[in-house]
Amino acid sequence: MTAFPSPILEARNLSARYGQVQALAPIDFQVGAGELVAVLGPNGAGKSTLLRAILGLVTNAGEVAFMGAALPRRNPVAVASRGVVLVPEGRGIFGPMTVMENLELGAYRLKGREERQRRFDRVFELFPRLKERLGQAGGSMSGGEQQMLAIGRALMADPKILLLDEPSLGLAPRVTDEILETLGVLNRSGLPVVLVEQRAPQALKLAHRAYLLSLGRLVAVIDPREVQSHDQLAQYYFA
Amino acid sequence: MDSALIGQSLVSGLGIGCVYGLIGIGFCVIYNASGIVNFAQGAFVMLGGMITHVLLVRGQLPYFAAIVLSVLVVALLGVVIERLVVRPLWKRNAPMFVMILATLAAQIVIERLTFLAVDDQPKTLPVFTDLPPIMVGGVAVNIQSLWIVAGSLAIVGLLALFFKGTRTGKAMRACAINREAAALQGIPVHGMLALAFGLSAGLGAIAGIMLTPTQYTAFNVGVPFAISGFIAAIIGGFGRPFGAFLGGLTLGVVQSVAILSFGAGLKTVVALSVLLLFLFVRPSGILGAAK
Repeated sequence: MTAFPSPILEARNLSARYGQVQALAPIDFQVGAGELVAVLGPNGAGKSTLLRAILGLVTNAGEVAFMGAALPRRNPVAVASRGVVLVPEGRGIFGPMTVMENLELGAYRLKGREERQRRFDRVFELFPRLKERLGQAGGSMSGGEQQMLAIGRALMADPKILLLDEPSLGLAPRVTDEILETLGVLNRSGLPVVLVEQRAPQALKLAHRAYLLSLGRLVAVIDPREVQSHDQLAQYYFA
Repeated sequence: MDSALIGQSLVSGLGIGCVYGLIGIGFCVIYNASGIVNFAQGAFVMLGGMITHVLLVRGQLPYFAAIVLSVLVVALLGVVIERLVVRPLWKRNAPMFVMILATLAAQIVIERLTFLAVDDQPKTLPVFTDLPPIMVGGVAVNIQSLWIVAGSLAIVGLLALFFKGTRTGKAMRACAINREAAALQGIPVHGMLALAFGLSAGLGAIAGIMLTPTQYTAFNVGVPFAISGFIAAIIGGFGRPFGAFLGGLTLGVVQSVAILSFGAGLKTVVALSVLLLFLFVRPSGILGAAK
């Protein structure tokens, strides 16, 4: 396995099931401080399930520790309160509510006005378009803008680690590049990121390490620097 | 038909319609927070009037204090029902019909306990302001009806402010739209469910307290009120609090005119006919269903 910085998020023997169906075989998974870790694989590989298991959104077994302390296994509210924030697949924005309200709810637990403003400023710096649409219903914006809102809302929670489930889903390539570029900026500012992504080449450009899953099992842990071509990536996929 | 009589009927319909509307809002608040149709809502209406009566007559409390205490007690009971009846089933992902049956069972238990604790005799409350009716163009408007209309409008306004202007209100709306996404933002979704039950129970109690001086309360009035409130919520567009209020007004006025035209015996038939009409012609209700 590739060497990594001291782990900030560490899952051991983490598995998950939907009813009687095992969707994720036991897996060890680590994210180091300041890392951007990609989780790759085809449809049905268990990528989203891995994130949902970390958050405690699905029935799971195993251990997950964050910053050295165990995370509650069936309490996503408590997990979020620890700074582990997920931008879910499909964005999960509150469609009928305005952009402003969506962002405010990201900072639901924050009481200080100055800190709230600081977070707003940071989000608007990253996504200036949101500032122009504050009074607009989130659900009436384009897919790309909704994704910006979902990430912006997550940032309002001041995450200690940001997990994203297929942020490029349904977006035009140009918008995807814009979103991924912003994730790169966030990561370079020190925020650890876990990125579940089907567009492997783009994800690998950003990632420090990548986990490749297939049929609910870990297939490989990849060092992106060792992946020189699409053919080599395809070899990993079809190995 | 005498126009003054029709006017009288409309005034009466608006008064009872406001009460149906408040009960309907209670249905919507809980449905939005949990997806549950809470048929214990009628019990809250009954208890509002009944507890106020007990505090006033047996407890010898001042009227206003009895009202405030009664609303608080019923709101607390709403939270208790959420914790003891709903949440355990919710956590186990129980099917919706099981949860609906559980709330119906809670309604029956409350009804029977009230029967045992008080008796089966109807109880009433004094009107809030003991003044003669105001005559408006030949229509006598009693002051209690004005209290009901003004009180209901004030509550609807305050609820709008709560849901639009407060952090907790916005969080409740977020839970209604996408509970999982709300949890992922650290919003305490279970706490919001308890709050929804407390709020709905309090609203039901206020409706019951405002209405009791014009009618009466008894251990068994809850179910008819629950049915009327439920119909109001469907007519308005299920899950839309303001729609439920409009639905309540529509139902109240139609019922009142029907009583005038066909007699009180057909009151329930008319209410159910209005429901069927909406289900056939506009199933999403006046404002369109929230989900």
